[in-house]
Amino acid sequence: MLMDTETLRKLELLNQLRLTEEQKNSVLAFFEERAADEALLDAVDTAEVKPMVHVMPVMTVIREDIVSQPFSREDIQRGAPETDEGYWCVPRVVE
Amino acid sequence: MKLYTVKNQVYNDRVVVADDMILTTEHPTSAGSRMLEGYVSLIGSEALGCLTAAGYVLGGKTQVGEFAIDLVGETSKDGAIYKDGKAVNAAACVLLADEACVALTLDVNGSVRRAAAQSGLCSVKPTYGTVSRYGTIPVACSGDTVSLMARNTGECRNALNVIRSCDPKDGTCIPESMRNEKTAPVKRVAVIASLMRDVDAEVNRAITAAAAALTDAGIEVITIDDSVICTSRPAWNILMCAELCNNVSRYDGVSFGHRAESFSGIDELYTNSRTEAFGDLLKAAVIYGSETLSANNYIKVYDKALRTRRVIVEAFAALFEKFDALLMPACSTMAYTEKMLKETPRLVFDENLYTAPASISGLPAIVSGGIQLAGPAFSESTLLDTAAIIEKGGQVI
Amino acid sequence: MRYETVIGLEVHVGLSTNSKIFCSCSAQSYGAKPNTHICPACCGMPGMLPVVNRRVVDFSMKAGMMLNCTINRVTTFDKKSYYYPDLPASYQTTQWFAPIAVNGFVEIETSAGKKSIRIKQIHMEEDAGKLIHDIREDTTHIDFNRSSVPLIEIVSQSDLSSAEEAEAYLERLNILLRFAKVSECEMAHGTMRCDVNLSVRPEGSDKLGVRTEMKNMNSIEAIKRAIEYETARHIDALENGTEVLIQETRRWDDLSGKSYAMRGKETAGDYRYFPDPNVMPVVIDDAWLNAVRDSLPEFPEVKRKRYIDELGLNDYDADQLIKSIALCECFESAYAVCKSAKDAVNWMTSEVMSELNARDMTYDMLSVNGETLGKLILLVSDGEVGRANGRKILSAMFEDKNIDPKTYAEQNDMIVSHDTELIEQTVRTIVASNQKAVADYKRGKEKAFMALFGQCMRELKGNCDPQTLKTILAEYIADL
Repeated sequence: MLMDTETLRKLELLNQLRLTEEQKNSVLAFFEERAADEALLDAVDTAEVKPMVHVMPVMTVIREDIVSQPFSREDIQRGAPETDEGYWCVPRVVE
Repeated sequence: MKLYTVKNQVYNDRVVVADDMILTTEHPTSAGSRMLEGYVSLIGSEALGCLTAAGYVLGGKTQVGEFAIDLVGETSKDGAIYKDGKAVNAAACVLLADEACVALTLDVNGSVRRAAAQSGLCSVKPTYGTVSRYGTIPVACSGDTVSLMARNTGECRNALNVIRSCDPKDGTCIPESMRNEKTAPVKRVAVIASLMRDVDAEVNRAITAAAAALTDAGIEVITIDDSVICTSRPAWNILMCAELCNNVSRYDGVSFGHRAESFSGIDELYTNSRTEAFGDLLKAAVIYGSETLSANNYIKVYDKALRTRRVIVEAFAALFEKFDALLMPACSTMAYTEKMLKETPRLVFDENLYTAPASISGLPAIVSGGIQLAGPAFSESTLLDTAAIIEKGGQVI
Repeated sequence: MRYETVIGLEVHVGLSTNSKIFCSCSAQSYGAKPNTHICPACCGMPGMLPVVNRRVVDFSMKAGMMLNCTINRVTTFDKKSYYYPDLPASYQTTQWFAPIAVNGFVEIETSAGKKSIRIKQIHMEEDAGKLIHDIREDTTHIDFNRSSVPLIEIVSQSDLSSAEEAEAYLERLNILLRFAKVSECEMAHGTMRCDVNLSVRPEGSDKLGVRTEMKNMNSIEAIKRAIEYETARHIDALENGTEVLIQETRRWDDLSGKSYAMRGKETAGDYRYFPDPNVMPVVIDDAWLNAVRDSLPEFPEVKRKRYIDELGLNDYDADQLIKSIALCECFESAYAVCKSAKDAVNWMTSEVMSELNARDMTYDMLSVNGETLGKLILLVSDGEVGRANGRKILSAMFEDKNIDPKTYAEQNDMIVSHDTELIEQTVRTIVASNQKAVADYKRGKEKAFMALFGQCMRELKGNCDPQTLKTILAEYIADL
């Protein structure tokens, strides 16, 4: 895949990351390193082939509609960064 | 040198250590990342539960590379562990020091297999879907497999029999009735020439020794070539990074895990928390994975990789019509030196040549005597028998 | 220049299952304290794996069938990624590649006549949590009770062309989904939410104009207002150049009656959909499909016709009943027992509906057993229990489903007495202590008779056939 500084900037935003200059260069190098390998895929004939998401035989796994709540709020919020009156808190989001 | 994230003072001949991708309710699980420093899970690993119910005792948690995507664990938040100039895996060290009889690990990107090969240990990556992933840190869910590492095939086999039950809490776990166990002993083993091309002398020696041990035992070892199976590497790199990107997006500093001390507004909360907590390799993999899923690239990159997976799986099926197992390296060298890691920090994406075939297809892979044996689905038992032959004939490094 | 409006609606419907779509937390947490119906999975924590709730698939299939869709026999889940504090894992599990149902339609009727509105697809997905912004300044509070609650999203084709049509469409969806018991469809509770996609073009043109999306309309009236405002805004922009229309998402503010552009990041919109490897495809075999099909109710208009043609109900009464499947089912069961459609519908539209209103319950919440109601109706129509007491028994049945009307009447002294001696004795007593009333009546005041009648009835605790009492009272007074 091609990669340039502008697209890289957008990817940082999309993934909520901020890269240092050094890291940016590494990532650009990374894309270049993989390009030759990726080209091997073009040689694979997949015209009549369906994508394979699951490697094992298809079996629908389903559960019955029964409520089970073994965890309390205290359990789940233990170690939370910030809570207030049972809610988790973040800086005000403007909608 | 940090081998353990937590060590219990247990004295028992049935000690199991769990690597830090395995969730435990009694001890923190960090997945090797600052993001989960001190995180104590409310749910525990199903596989570990099976082991403790069968009489094993948890001896401690061992450190791993950040989300287990690296070579052998060198990107851990606690730093790489070097022994005799080469990077070593914490669980492997614990086993070599005889402080545990088996290690329960998560094979995400082959690190368990590379570690076992380089340390002369045995490892089993069972068929995908035979061991519950409930209670493990998710990274590349279509390939993550709970695996075992031990000093020999016997210990691996014992532990495997305990953990390989079907769990309704894992939607990808295969019911017993659909597991067609292979019982016929291995008679013909293939070696793929192109997988042997770039390995060093030590790895070559290990493969040769393994082939000799097999031949001595009356098993045919035949060199063939196959170009499809080698496409596992680019295809798996794509799938692994894309799924990783998605699976670590939950670490956003909001409700658990690391939150930055200073930020102004929600975007900075996200960005500062994730930037501070994630290492270089992880960030690079996340960016790469994210791009494979972008609107521009989805069809020609990610979807292409999914289709290639099917071609690879079919190629394996054809191979296993004629052969019972595939003998191949687990890595190109028996030592990842500090210099190597500094100069080629993303080496794992090249080393995946050897581990990606089993990762992408979900097929079982055993490591013994420094080499890797792969087989058709549900052939772990016969592969272990074959590995035992190599174990007896080969040398523990 | 005349313009036409092109509208497509995306309706999110909360399914009334017991548990969430991928975990076993309760899905019914309306009004609960924050974060009391959560688990590690629906809070984005690692380790638990999603397992599909069967009833979510059942309800989604039912919805698809009610809306004349084709059901996809192999349906899969996909992940949609974006960062927002109400999304605990920073991705939503939804259906992008193979939704459960496609290519349906509903018939609507407006002042302009009948029209068919095509439905592009219905897909299953999980809801996000709730954000509250006004508890503390500078802070947003997060409640994950609603996270992972199952939704279906119903996407229409852009076949709607006015606020009136949108209203008719939403009301049609509402009645059909409530009839199939898959959702309470209550906009005030958030179990039915609607986003509007709107564009405008010169009448007769086949080229689509710039499309804007509007969110945050909390009632059908607000949706109508939003459509009218936005149509006017688009036309104004095209005719007078007041602004340049851009494809964007806008937030409707009902207080000011205007839509506002929402702030968006430049990369908003690349959701990077990909198939979820943790959830196996849901394969719907013939047995499953047929079982769901067999469980569908008759369509409201089919019931209406049957009630009118076969059971002799009038239009008004039939219309009342088809407002809710619960009313229909109760009516049908009651009718089966009491054999009188007239009596059954009479009780439904008067006593049952007023009881529901008095208890502030919606018609869908009716859970009284129809057969038991039938027994009650017979008790009253046979003269064993007075109507007023019958109403009391019905009220008791609302409190306790296991009540048997006859037993309850006996235990509470409600059985009508045919003991003429008791009636005569009561009449004698009341008349004796109400000489003035008797005198008034004899002088011609009818009201006085009714007063005496009323007192006798009260004395008899209502357990008396009114006609019998009237006769005995009148005869007794006449003999004085």
